[in-house]
Amino acid sequence: MRRGVGFWSAIAIGLVLAGFVWLLATRDSSRSRLADSPLLGKPAPVLAGDTLAGESFELETRSGRWVVVNFFATWCVPCVREHPELVRFSQRHLAEGDAEVVSVQFDRNDEDRLRRFFERNGGDWPVVADPEGRIALDYGVTGIPESFLVDPDGFVVSKIVGGVSADQLDALVAAAEEQREAAS
Amino acid sequence: MTAVLGSAGVALGFLASALGAGTLAVGLRNRRSPLLQLGRQYAWMVLAGALIAAGAMEWALIGNDFSLQYVADNGSTRTPLIYTIATLWAALEGSIILWTLVLAGYLLFVAHHFRRRLSDPLVGWALLVMLLVAAFFFGLMLGPANPFETVAGVVPSDGPGPNPLLQNHPLMAFHPPMLYLGYVGFTVPFAFAVAALVTGRLGEGWLAETRRWTLFAWGFLTFGIVLGAWWSYEVLGWGGYWGWDPVENASFLPWLTGTAYIHSVMVQERRGMLRIWNLSLLMATFSLTILGTFLTRSGVLDSVHAFTESPIGPLLLGFFGVVVLTAVGLIGWRGDRLRSPGRIDSPVSREGSFLANNVVFAGFAFVVLLGTVFPLIVEAINGERISVGAPYFERMTMPLGLTLLFLMAVAPVLPWRKASGELLRHRLLWPAWAATGGVVLAVLLGARGLAPLLAFGLGAFAAGGAVRHLFLAVRRQGWRGMVGRSNGGMIVHLGVVMVAVALAASGSYSSDGEFRLREGESATLAGHTITYLGTETVVTDQKREVKARVEVDGGKVYEPALSQFPFASQAIGTPSVRSSPIDDVYLTLVSAPQDEGDPAVIGMIVQPLVAWLWTGGAVMALGTLLSAWPRGRRRRSDEREAVESPIADREPEPAVV
Amino acid sequence: MRRWGAWAVMAIVVTGALVYGTVDEGSARTTEDRARSIAASLRCPTCRSQSVLESDSTQAQAIRTDIVRRLQAGQTEGEITGYYVSRFGEQIRLRPDSGGVAGLVWVLPVVALVIAVAGLGFAFRRWRVQAGREVTDADRLLVERARGRWRRRPT
Repeated sequence: MRRGVGFWSAIAIGLVLAGFVWLLATRDSSRSRLADSPLLGKPAPVLAGDTLAGESFELETRSGRWVVVNFFATWCVPCVREHPELVRFSQRHLAEGDAEVVSVQFDRNDEDRLRRFFERNGGDWPVVADPEGRIALDYGVTGIPESFLVDPDGFVVSKIVGGVSADQLDALVAAAEEQREAAS
Repeated sequence: MTAVLGSAGVALGFLASALGAGTLAVGLRNRRSPLLQLGRQYAWMVLAGALIAAGAMEWALIGNDFSLQYVADNGSTRTPLIYTIATLWAALEGSIILWTLVLAGYLLFVAHHFRRRLSDPLVGWALLVMLLVAAFFFGLMLGPANPFETVAGVVPSDGPGPNPLLQNHPLMAFHPPMLYLGYVGFTVPFAFAVAALVTGRLGEGWLAETRRWTLFAWGFLTFGIVLGAWWSYEVLGWGGYWGWDPVENASFLPWLTGTAYIHSVMVQERRGMLRIWNLSLLMATFSLTILGTFLTRSGVLDSVHAFTESPIGPLLLGFFGVVVLTAVGLIGWRGDRLRSPGRIDSPVSREGSFLANNVVFAGFAFVVLLGTVFPLIVEAINGERISVGAPYFERMTMPLGLTLLFLMAVAPVLPWRKASGELLRHRLLWPAWAATGGVVLAVLLGARGLAPLLAFGLGAFAAGGAVRHLFLAVRRQGWRGMVGRSNGGMIVHLGVVMVAVALAASGSYSSDGEFRLREGESATLAGHTITYLGTETVVTDQKREVKARVEVDGGKVYEPALSQFPFASQAIGTPSVRSSPIDDVYLTLVSAPQDEGDPAVIGMIVQPLVAWLWTGGAVMALGTLLSAWPRGRRRRSDEREAVESPIADREPEPAVV
Repeated sequence: MRRWGAWAVMAIVVTGALVYGTVDEGSARTTEDRARSIAASLRCPTCRSQSVLESDSTQAQAIRTDIVRRLQAGQTEGEITGYYVSRFGEQIRLRPDSGGVAGLVWVLPVVALVIAVAGLGFAFRRWRVQAGREVTDADRLLVERARGRWRRRPT
């Protein structure tokens, strides 16, 4: 009788272990990927503030265009690494004017360093200040780099964490446009 | 050059362990004693390999040899010597070198200690298991976790240095090795448990052999955990010492099952019972060390500690699976031999309380493990990301902790087999008075809240029991009453009570605040006053540090700081703590003044009884040492008697007064 | 009755002290208290397991300021927590929700406790029942074998 109990406990533990191993083995690593966010499919939160150039910016005024909202800091190494991709994306759509990039400063940044960075590395788009961190909170930013793709109607389509590429952004835009066409 | 030397060391270690395992396997199968004797030689070679590898890495680190990828990623010319040495275990690959070094040390120690019994299959199998484990870890270094990889392309002239959090305090140098001495140490009793199961010699002999090893490993694990908590408190700057972070939980889980084991083992020694429990707990402890390594190294769960994502994750997971399946398989196979001759007569008895102890500890481990891996499970089921944080763990473990305090008071006074009400009433009288006094005193001192009051009362109950035991022992035997298993154990219990009281007090009665102060301004919190005196900036090769000078209670000046390391993104805060036996005033520099004359934001946390945590930890360490002290009764030369005798090291009960 | 006297006294004193200590909890909660308790229940978004209350990262500081601002504007604790969940997802709650799949984390330990207590009860009952067992032939064989092995052990 006791052997029976031992035997079945062993089976049970073995099964739990197998399930656990399978579960962990199918976890993927946290590299650049599309993230889940409660904001997906919802209107983009208010994004308003002063830019580096001294002008005031409001996301709402950009309706009619695809906007990539990118949270950035000069001290963030992966952000620096993805920057050229954003430049490429922005230049690709410069002629048509159908898509653009907006940077939001994340955490503390030295304004001079920021200016110099953009001068040296390109990127002719608004860089909005977020002194109290409210924009980052409204967008639910947990770490940078994070980018949000907002469609011309002002809805958040995707959230990308861990660095973007121009091709990835274009693919996302294309996919979203197809969906919009299918819906209408 | 160094890379070649280091790789040679790793290769030597791997070959020696693999060949050694093979040799012992053949020797055991064919019962060829000369082959078994070679076990010791192989152990020497494994240690040589590990020493060469570790030495080569240290040489490269201290000499700033940036042609090695590991040094290029983790070393720096600006790091002071002690941190450079500690860089050996600052990241994944190097910490595996440390693991193999400790394991090789234990392996040789075992081979040497049992040198006259190497032909005994029990010892042979144990060495075989240890060699297999060593082969696995050396194998990791030969493959995915190679520490001696050279840099492809241009050799950098400098490196980023270890993570700034690891450079802020010399304690960083001691915490991981201490923890590893404990972690890796459990390989020894595990190996003997497997050996006992395989050879079918499931009497108490192997237990007696490994008792000191187990205590040793457990002691270091305890010390390592407490040290880690102290480091977290002193360095990380968030004012706490335990965050139920996955890495902390990873080291806590084997501690829980290990503690259950060292208690439950006494029942097996005395009455030959609870064998399956003991084997399971021991196997679980070792398995949990592997699981813990997997969880922290594979990046599956992020944490403050998790340095990199690495392909060795699946390998560790696989090894964990093999270990658990082996354990379960062996216990299942030998199930009939593990049937114990006796049975528990009454729940109110020493055996009964130890059984309850096992169940509570197992439940504790279950809750901690569940909470740690639950976010993964949920994400796999429906893609939702949730967090399981401190509120969950605290709520779940609190009743378990209180139950353990109660058991700690009651179990040592319960006699074996059966207790009578009269006996219990007699033995628990003084502890009960202590408990009453404790609760009343706490209420008078202003403590409120059911949970902390229960903790104080039960803690006093347990302390009363321990003091009573020690008092009687010393009265009977003089100073020798402080030494030996049960007396040392009582001292450890006293340490645990101190820790429990500290946890209850600092957890329930802390106050904190942030104050924007100009130079000369003061602020008050929970009866303490701080005055901000100004800042001072210190620039060294290693970092740029802004120190705020803060005077506490009109006395000494403390200097919380913010440091900027050249290659790191964020400033790292260094707290400054004023400790006293009553409470700690914990200061942080939340934000430094931008310009001259600007105010600084000083964070202040007042927590009662935190010093009792560290003191309690030290008492536990002392008690462990006293517990392992030889009592002079066992004749060391006659080891066979120890193997065959079912009851080892038996302490007589203090006479009922 | 004398032997119970001391215990009765202790029981009364302890119960009294505990009741007093629990009921006399203290004053009403200030905004600061409420802000602290909300901050303690939220996870700092840029850390792994520290709460917003404990962390000093800029995100955490921003959230703490924001919580106070919202409390002063009259929002309830539920509304504030709800806002953060709507932006960061459930993962910002340190204490998992009791509904849905996540609720399992609360339920499973209770289930384990029930099984453990039941198991202990079973084990004790079975041991008591085994008191009057007969010695079977299989048992005799086991003893003989063990004794044989003992005799054959090299001296």
